[in-house]
Amino acid sequence: MTHPTESEELRSRQFPVREDMAYQLKVWRFERVGWYVLVLLVILTLLGLFSRGPLSTRDVHSGDGRLGVEYEMFHRNGSTNPMVIHLKGQPNAVLEVELVGQWLEGFEVQTLQPQPVRSASAQRGLKLWVQADANGEASLYLSLLGDGLGLYHSRIATPGGATVSFDQFIFP
Amino acid sequence: MDSVLRAAAIYGALLVLFKIAGRRSLAEITTFDFVLLMIIGEATQQALLGDDFSLTNSLMVIVTLIAIDVGLSLLKQRSQWVSQLIDGGPTIIVEDGRILKARMRHARLIEEDIMEAARSSQGIETLEQIKFAIIERNGKISVIAKES
Repeated sequence: MTHPTESEELRSRQFPVREDMAYQLKVWRFERVGWYVLVLLVILTLLGLFSRGPLSTRDVHSGDGRLGVEYEMFHRNGSTNPMVIHLKGQPNAVLEVELVGQWLEGFEVQTLQPQPVRSASAQRGLKLWVQADANGEASLYLSLLGDGLGLYHSRIATPGGATVSFDQFIFP
Repeated sequence: MDSVLRAAAIYGALLVLFKIAGRRSLAEITTFDFVLLMIIGEATQQALLGDDFSLTNSLMVIVTLIAIDVGLSLLKQRSQWVSQLIDGGPTIIVEDGRILKARMRHARLIEEDIMEAARSSQGIETLEQIKFAIIERNGKISVIAKES
């Protein structure tokens, strides 16, 4: 028995069913390309495109090193992610930090630890005062619930002039 | 508003995902496929309802899903093109006892799959007894025996 060539095999038959092999080949190609896309998505998710991973976890510091922020670049609507603010100042002093930008519109602060000594509202955000330890260091742990959608720009600053700016994106 | 958007987004995403998976994927349900289907259902549930567990929300989600489904079937009835796009067409994989290998490779099928369908539906023992085997639009393999 002779083996049919591939092109003969892929010719459309009319009996017993009417085929459209040109279209069927497109479907098969779509399945194959789609599979590559799925694998790519899985890899990107493992890398943190949809939060929590090397692509998403960021650690920024101000130029003088007195202010540092660890945050997630990518959030998902309805999920909670941590954010840590590190401050450095005089030993045992009360350090002031200002959180401004659109982020309060996109995020809900679920917990804030430790409780700040004092807090006040600022022009577009809030001001917190935290107690530093004997080395002059203080940390603030926040857990943020992504509430909005899209890109949010934030800025964290101290009165001493240390500033960090960053963007966060919330997926639906 | 968002219950309609959620339902429409999930419907569209699942439609595309199952197109990528191919028609065979969930046609022959094994125990594992059944469990897989349930897990997909569980994962979808949260995204469909969000954090709103009200009666209105769940009803609106169901109403939207059924509305899209009926709408699509109406479209399929009117347009040959839409029908082919969503349901695809049948494909012959065995012709006069001869396997069409290139087609099998594209459809991710092996000879065993055909013989299984042949045995269970027609009581056929060998490949030579098959006149035609066809992958139907729903992913099932139908077998037509040679007249002896």
